[in-house]
Amino acid sequence: MSVAIRGLHVAIGGTSIIQDVDMDIAGGERVGLVGSSGSGKSMISRAIMGLLPAEATVSGSVVLGDRQVIGADDATVADLRGRYVGMVFQNPGSSLNPVMTVAQQIALPLRLHYDLNRAERLDRVRAMLDKVGLPGDVMGKYPHQLSGGQQQRVGIATALITSPRFIIADEPTTALDSIVQRQIVDLLVSLVDDAGASMLFITHDFAVLSRATTRCYVLADGAIVDSGATADLLARPAVPATVRLVSAARALSLTAASPVAALSTASPLTAESSTAE
Amino acid sequence: MMVVLRAMWRRAEGRFALVVLGLWLIVAGVSLFWTPRPLLETDGYHVWATPSAAHWLGTDGTGADVFSWLMAGSRTNLLIVVLTVLVAAVFGLLLVAAMVARRATVAVVSVVIVDALISIPTVLLALMLAVPLGASVVVIVVACGFGYGLNLARVARPAALLAARSSYVESALSNGASGWWIFVRHIVPNIVPVLLVQLSLSAGTSVLAESGLTYLGIGVPSGVPSWGHSLATSVKFINVYPLTVLWPGLIVTVVVVALNVFGDVLRDAIDPLTNPALRERSGR
Amino acid sequence: MRFVIHRLALFVAALFGVSVVVFAALRILPGDVASVMAGLNSPASRVEALREQLGLNRPLIIQYVDWAGGLLRGDFGTSILTGRSVTSLVAGRAAITFPLIVLGLLIACLIGIPLGVAATLARSSAARAAFHIVGLIGGAIPALWGGLLLILLFSRGTGLIGLFPSQGFPMDGWGAPGEALWSLVLPALSVGIIVGASLMRYTRSSLGDIAASGHIDMAMACGMMRRQAVIRVGLRLATPQLVSVIGLTFAEMITGVMVIENLFALPGIGSGLVTDVGNRDLIAVQSELFMLASFFLAVGLIVDLLHRALDPRLASADIVAEVVA
Repeated sequence: MSVAIRGLHVAIGGTSIIQDVDMDIAGGERVGLVGSSGSGKSMISRAIMGLLPAEATVSGSVVLGDRQVIGADDATVADLRGRYVGMVFQNPGSSLNPVMTVAQQIALPLRLHYDLNRAERLDRVRAMLDKVGLPGDVMGKYPHQLSGGQQQRVGIATALITSPRFIIADEPTTALDSIVQRQIVDLLVSLVDDAGASMLFITHDFAVLSRATTRCYVLADGAIVDSGATADLLARPAVPATVRLVSAARALSLTAASPVAALSTASPLTAESSTAE
Repeated sequence: MMVVLRAMWRRAEGRFALVVLGLWLIVAGVSLFWTPRPLLETDGYHVWATPSAAHWLGTDGTGADVFSWLMAGSRTNLLIVVLTVLVAAVFGLLLVAAMVARRATVAVVSVVIVDALISIPTVLLALMLAVPLGASVVVIVVACGFGYGLNLARVARPAALLAARSSYVESALSNGASGWWIFVRHIVPNIVPVLLVQLSLSAGTSVLAESGLTYLGIGVPSGVPSWGHSLATSVKFINVYPLTVLWPGLIVTVVVVALNVFGDVLRDAIDPLTNPALRERSGR
Repeated sequence: MRFVIHRLALFVAALFGVSVVVFAALRILPGDVASVMAGLNSPASRVEALREQLGLNRPLIIQYVDWAGGLLRGDFGTSILTGRSVTSLVAGRAAITFPLIVLGLLIACLIGIPLGVAATLARSSAARAAFHIVGLIGGAIPALWGGLLLILLFSRGTGLIGLFPSQGFPMDGWGAPGEALWSLVLPALSVGIIVGASLMRYTRSSLGDIAASGHIDMAMACGMMRRQAVIRVGLRLATPQLVSVIGLTFAEMITGVMVIENLFALPGIGSGLVTDVGNRDLIAVQSELFMLASFFLAVGLIVDLLHRALDPRLASADIVAEVVA
């Protein structure tokens, strides 16, 4: 599914968060959105999903396939969510429903959008679990009984169970350690490509972005400041914001190479990394 | 101090709380020297009188001036609120200290005791105290202070525990600091925001409790002015002049709202995160 | 399972503790009960006779064992004043108070939870401010005044719109169920509205916490509308917390219930207890306080167990580990 964003503005309580953002994602394309924390990345994904908080004011245009999201009523957007658009969240521990079993969680989009009986739903859940590499016996477990990596696999399964045409992955690996990060990114990419869906991959980490996307946008202070092929930006960053993000990613992957720092999930803009430029 | 007050004044809620509580203090002060009519003056010819120029809110069954009694009542309620908050704060902090104690048995036992006692209503304690003591301010203060102290301890425990397990407490301990010194120096400052909100809620609840307990005959003794006393008296007005019923209850409601709001606004005003004026000052 | 055993042990220990405290408080606190009962200026011989009659001259430990032994056998003693057994006294009064509390709580939930949800869903800042103010004022109304206002508005005789009786309970009690229920409407409303306001604030704040944690976003991303997600996911996740709050509210409600029973002249536990305290009916007060306290301890127990049962994350935790962790 193609996505077109034109002139998107978001403000909360009079403070402007997103200014005049234009973005395009073609059908089947994997596009990145990269920026430091606080740059407003998540607000863009929320605007696309219709998940902005009540006090936010939003203007501009977001077209998913052929449907306008901005200004549409909640019922219309809700019908897109989970059916045509899937979302993978940053922190599965605090987004997965703690009182739902894994099977109930993954089956939720099916229940909301399709008229299937219990056995049919369970069949699909089982098949999906297999795809994301989880054993069948996690179906009856609760999220708190799983590891972080397993939780995120459940999150991915939930986002993909209905074979949506567009996936938003909002920092899906930030809460995970670096070895699991790579596994999760590779899993997400292969599943999205197999399904022929398009994806918006949001992160602060260029290192992850190069594995997940072909093209990307750089966001700083709520505006798009740079865009192009991910490999080009990574090889020859020109705009200051891009330069900072790329050097931060290099510093991180250098430290991540040593086993001691494998657990590092710190913000890329630490004092060290900015002096490293 | 001025920075904090100014920050509170900037919010509509804060202005409301400051004005109401300020008026309360002023009226309580004035009533020490002056009330429209002497408290003990009873006018046998004008019993249950409707409001007039002489008696702004009418008179009660003994012919005493309702408005003067309301004014004087603000004193008693002020006293009760201050004492209750003090008792609740001291008792609550002692409990918090026990709950975050490093000795596991002390911590477990105190948590368990608080959890059990918290489900016992304040009024039962008040009734128990009232058997030997009769109607008395002590009954209100002790019963409420005890109950609110338990609440305070329960609400403040998570923040206190976080501070108690923090690295700066660890390092203070390894430097040989005593347990109590650490509690006062490191843990209490961390729970001040919770403390303020909880104590201001307690202050509000104690005003409500005063009116309830006094009406039940186990609070402020008869013959002593208080809002609860005026409210209880106004019940009898209902067949005489219903509108008089409104005043004491209205005063209590407005004051309780102001007390509840006060804690919230004060917490925000002393928090450098929400009060930029404090940031500037500490930055200089 | 370990939690249940721990919690039950705590309940039994608390019952014992309460019995000791109630007993001790009524004897050790200043002011000799016998002299208070005998009245001011009564001759010493009369006070002494009364002490003898009440068994107050026996050693405290014997008195306590005597009373507590009775409690264990289900014998709560006899009222000194009326000679009736405390059990039958309390049973008669509970037939009014218990329905009143349940009705009040029901009204509180019916008012508080939907308003809390509505406040969470409110989009305009004006609507949110309005809900905030309603919650603040509702929780600040003294029970007595709330009852009075309702009488002024809705009672037969005094009220603007005469709908409900404002005084007393039918002579034949629940023999006339319609009439009995009718006479509880205004009292239950008085209690329920105030509790409902605080329940609304708790609902609002715990739904807010849940929304901030991302569970609501997740449900919406799966295809729920905001309203649907707040009600189906948010309320479910808030339930353990709300159950705890309702349990505690239950205990705080009792002050209001006593006031309201007095105001509406309902011969329930509250007004009965106040009367007994006024009469210094030692044995009755002692047993009644113990019964009420155990009732609330039991409510606390049930609430804690429910809280656990409703949250799978807590299923494996236990008290000691939680405190020490």
